[in-house]
Amino acid sequence: MNRLPTSRREFLVGTTAGLLSGRALAQPPRLTAQQVADRIRASVGLPWRAQTTDGFKAGDPSTPVTGIATTVMASTDTLRRAVASGQNFIVTQEPLFYSNNEDPGNRANDPVYLAKKALIDEHRLVVWRFAEHWNARQPNEAARALAALLKWADADVPDAAQTYRIRETTLGALVAQLQSRLPLRGGLRMVGQPGMRVRTVYVSPGTTSLASAVANLQKADVILTGEPREWEAVPYSLDTWSAERGKGLIAIGRLVSEGPGAQACATWIHSVLPEVRVESISIADPYWSVNV
Amino acid sequence: MTAQQVVERIQKKLQELKINWRAQTVDTFKAGSPETEVRAIATTGMATFDVLRRAAAAGRNFVITHEPTFYNHLDQTGDLEADPIYQAKQRFIKDSHLVVFRFHDHAHALQPDPLVAGSARMLGWTQYASPTEPRIYVLPPTTLRELAVDVNTKLKGRAIRVAGDPEMKVTRVALGPGYGVPPLTTSIDVAVGGETAESGGNAEYILDAAADGQKKGMILLGHMMSEDWGMREVADWLRPLVPEVTVEWVPAGEPFTTAK
Repeated sequence: MNRLPTSRREFLVGTTAGLLSGRALAQPPRLTAQQVADRIRASVGLPWRAQTTDGFKAGDPSTPVTGIATTVMASTDTLRRAVASGQNFIVTQEPLFYSNNEDPGNRANDPVYLAKKALIDEHRLVVWRFAEHWNARQPNEAARALAALLKWADADVPDAAQTYRIRETTLGALVAQLQSRLPLRGGLRMVGQPGMRVRTVYVSPGTTSLASAVANLQKADVILTGEPREWEAVPYSLDTWSAERGKGLIAIGRLVSEGPGAQACATWIHSVLPEVRVESISIADPYWSVNV
Repeated sequence: MTAQQVVERIQKKLQELKINWRAQTVDTFKAGSPETEVRAIATTGMATFDVLRRAAAAGRNFVITHEPTFYNHLDQTGDLEADPIYQAKQRFIKDSHLVVFRFHDHAHALQPDPLVAGSARMLGWTQYASPTEPRIYVLPPTTLRELAVDVNTKLKGRAIRVAGDPEMKVTRVALGPGYGVPPLTTSIDVAVGGETAESGGNAEYILDAAADGQKKGMILLGHMMSEDWGMREVADWLRPLVPEVTVEWVPAGEPFTTAK
């Protein structure tokens, strides 16, 4: 896979020279948002699900696409940054309007919601969600991208998907490493004794289910995830200490954990749509802490 | 008296309060025999393995927990049967003759909700409760940073997270325990609760509001740091119902550690 830039700033897939030469030639008609979505669907390597949260969330599918921006979350700031750099097709991992089904509910007259809708309408943006199918690709793209950013890419454990063998360290030192390599502010939390020895890490961006925690902690010392539920994987990992089989859990937040995956998604989309400019827009850790 | 009889006292009290016992509820026995003679009762936010050890050591063989015992909302154990952690926990419950009962749905049905009241009391907010709006507290004007520092000092959490501009002015706070973090609206400055999904909710709303020049905030205490205290309220509520046995709160405590 392509090497990911370690910078969390926006980056452009493709070269300036390529863009210039493209401009010098006769301009082919721009693809519509629908054509872009169709190309991605046809290339993802999985049957498109009948029931899915992936798909158009805002905008007109017949809109000619000026450029694509991938992001973990299509926040108002993300949309403005896309507009500023000339991208009108936004590929997002997470919902657009504050709920999984995009129903504004009692926020229908909320000024924050209305301002976001107005921004989308004014700039004729198209927002397309691409999470279920992207995350179903094997090997898991988001896990691979997060591991690559942490320089663990070449040390995966055989027969344990998304599990990486790392240079032996302690849980506390691993947390310090994550703090220095990821765009974290106050969002990191951990379960386990900081002095525990760590050699293997199961990488699960987004969240980790109980079943996944139980199964993967058989082989891994630590789970690195986004937002584990605090009545599932969190108390399970806590109880491993009372059972004298102590395991670690590190939660870095959903947005930070999925950030490298959204960057990798830009690289992949450009590989199937080489004629379109593709960019990734980062989202910072939304949390700060009085303890940090 | 037996554990079953303790539950019947709870059900009778609820009936007096016009709260019907639900046909569909997670408030059931999770481990041990309901016929076990109760020596003493422990209430807790979550029946972690550590809570069970402390309860057993103190001779409290009936544990009443707000959250699950076996790491999922319905305490389904089918997929856990082969797991050594689950096996060790079950073995300990059996060897110590413990009984575990969950008191979740009906605890939240009490007025006021003890899970909200318990956190409010810990935070020193009881006197600021809005007389008309449930879960709203009108605090003396402060900033989000000052509020977060004060919350952290009072709860002694190790993993409290805050979203929003630290310098924003705060008076109207919505408090919802556990996973029930109140959704932010125009009439609330800050939502305070346990845990919530990071996307499709308040975190995104706070970012978008900031992009429009509006200031909103959220303080996430962690699930236990928001509900453990409420089970002390439940212990106080339960004590007069079962004068034959002692009832004490055994806090589950903060599950998160710090790296140093």
